[in-house]
Amino acid sequence: MAPLLETRDVSVHFGGLAALSDVSFGIEPGERLALIGPNGAGKTTLFNVLTGQLRPSAGEVFFRDRDITHASVFARTHMGLARSFQITSLFPQQTVKVNALIALQGTKRRRYHPFRYLMKDKEMQAAAQELLEAHGLWDLREATVSALAYGLQRKLEIALSLASDPELLLLDEPSCGLTTTESAEITTLIKRLGSKITVLMIAHDMDLVFGVADRVILLHYGKIMCEGTCEEIRANQLVRDIYMGSRHAGPGLGKR
Amino acid sequence: MRRERRSLVEVGLPVLVIAVLVLVLPLFIPAFVSSLVTKMMIYGLFGMSLNIIWGYAGIPSFGHAAFFGAGAYAAGILILRVGVSNFWLNMLLALVATAIIAAILGVPAFRVFGVGAGAANPIYFLLATIAFGELLSRLAIALRPVTGGSTGLSGIPEPDLGLGFEMTSGRYYYLVFVMLAVCIYIMYRIVNSHYGYALRGIHDNERRMQALGYNTWLYKYTSWIVAAVFGGVAGVLFAYYGGTLVPNNLAMVTSDIAFLLVIMGSTTTFFGPLVASVVYVGVEYLASLYLPDRWPLIFGFMFVLTIMFMPDGLGVWILRGWRRLIRGAAA
Ligand SMILES: Nc1ncnc2c1ncn2[C@@H]1O[C@H](COP(=O)(O)OP(=O)(O)OP(=O)(O)O)[C@@H](O)[C@H]1O
Ligand SMILES: [Mg+2]
Repeated sequence: MAPLLETRDVSVHFGGLAALSDVSFGIEPGERLALIGPNGAGKTTLFNVLTGQLRPSAGEVFFRDRDITHASVFARTHMGLARSFQITSLFPQQTVKVNALIALQGTKRRRYHPFRYLMKDKEMQAAAQELLEAHGLWDLREATVSALAYGLQRKLEIALSLASDPELLLLDEPSCGLTTTESAEITTLIKRLGSKITVLMIAHDMDLVFGVADRVILLHYGKIMCEGTCEEIRANQLVRDIYMGSRHAGPGLGKR
Repeated sequence: MRRERRSLVEVGLPVLVIAVLVLVLPLFIPAFVSSLVTKMMIYGLFGMSLNIIWGYAGIPSFGHAAFFGAGAYAAGILILRVGVSNFWLNMLLALVATAIIAAILGVPAFRVFGVGAGAANPIYFLLATIAFGELLSRLAIALRPVTGGSTGLSGIPEPDLGLGFEMTSGRYYYLVFVMLAVCIYIMYRIVNSHYGYALRGIHDNERRMQALGYNTWLYKYTSWIVAAVFGGVAGVLFAYYGGTLVPNNLAMVTSDIAFLLVIMGSTTTFFGPLVASVVYVGVEYLASLYLPDRWPLIFGFMFVLTIMFMPDGLGVWILRGWRRLIRGAAA
């Protein structure tokens, strides 16, 4: 099967720093692929290249066999790509419901409508209710987002990234900074996503990785060090040395 | 159902009461006061138009007078030089001219200088907006045969509404009132529309908006033009109001008024700048009577006092009080 998304020799340089060097990988439709690696490995940078926030210094990105290396962020969203952010990225001054509504209309034509009240759009209201109920946020719909507890903000973060009904979902450390119970909820949520949706996620949380992923890629200093199934990764000595062992070893590494 | 009725009382009632008050006011006050109220309405519209890009989309501008002045000058030139006498035609053409100027200036403003996500530094954008106003006012000085140079244009007659309707300065009050009401209605629809909520999203988090599928550049650019056009309406009304235009109507001194109105009125309420305009024009009038030489100082003081004692602005303050009153009455 042709990969849904593919990168070919993607490199990103920040001045002298090679954040990514010759990264090539693909993700099959319906697959759950986890991207792991220590802090500063270049995982978020790779996401930024995939979604268009960042132009790679070299290499190409393909989505459904189309070269999207130079496509804009919003155009990629319309093609079926969506992402969540490692650092929570919401509309803090708006209510939970308005956050959902804004997210939901992002890929709809009516987002440009300058005269029809958004709040009186029954179809959008119903969609917002459905989205928020699915994430246990409907009861909080009138709360201002900046006043929401962090764990709830993380839930909304994921809810917003699902609003465009994407084909490929990129999750950047979805359970970053959450308690064990909250992380477990996120894991369940990702597990429950339908098989129509392809998931690429960055995670430090090994319960999340081994609980969800079909395949794992280890990134280290901007290079793909190894990849394999969860069992292979668990057994891999290199992974232990660089990554899992370092959870207890070096400062600045491992789970934040 | 319950919510709809509540919003009817909370929003509809005060709007209706104020509208009726403003309509009957000229019967009870001397002519010079209704002339002041006319000015309050014109400046209020000017402030509210800046609030569309600033308060809603989060794009501050120090050069909004460029569009106020463009509308005013376009109207003045059309009447005095081209000979377009009909008010409605004149308004239409002046707004088209304003929109074109905004569309042209918007390209370097957002493409070269930029503001929001991806922009190097918003200061360059702000400086550019100042430069636009100064540029247009210099142009108004330079193009003497058309614009009257540094003395500007004078002798703009009372507007001709067609159908043999005779306009007087007393009746102009009602024309401004109607234009303001129409503009408020349209602006209100815009900021509460699908498009308007997208602007709010850009205000809060432009990067997320892009990731959600919004072409944020297009929103910023079009909202700049929309704000310019409503600023242009205020400018046209101003041209007829005073009958005289000077290059400063395009420049920083006039942009500062819109800027103050938004700060004083609050960026987070729709009607804030209109309320601020009542205070502003009142203070301006009193200052012209008692302390004519101290105007720049007083103007600065209004800024300082607002920031010190009412950083959220008058709009928020009034809204809070009103909500408390309503809730107290309901309980
Ligand atoms: N815009 C930028 N400019 C300069 N350097 C950057 C930029 N973005 C990232 N970097 C650097 O690139 C490297 C990779 O960063 P990246 O954020 O991709 O790491 P990461 O794998 O996501 O790490 P973490 O687990 O901490 O999220 C880091 O050394 C970082 O400091
Ligand atoms: Mg990261």
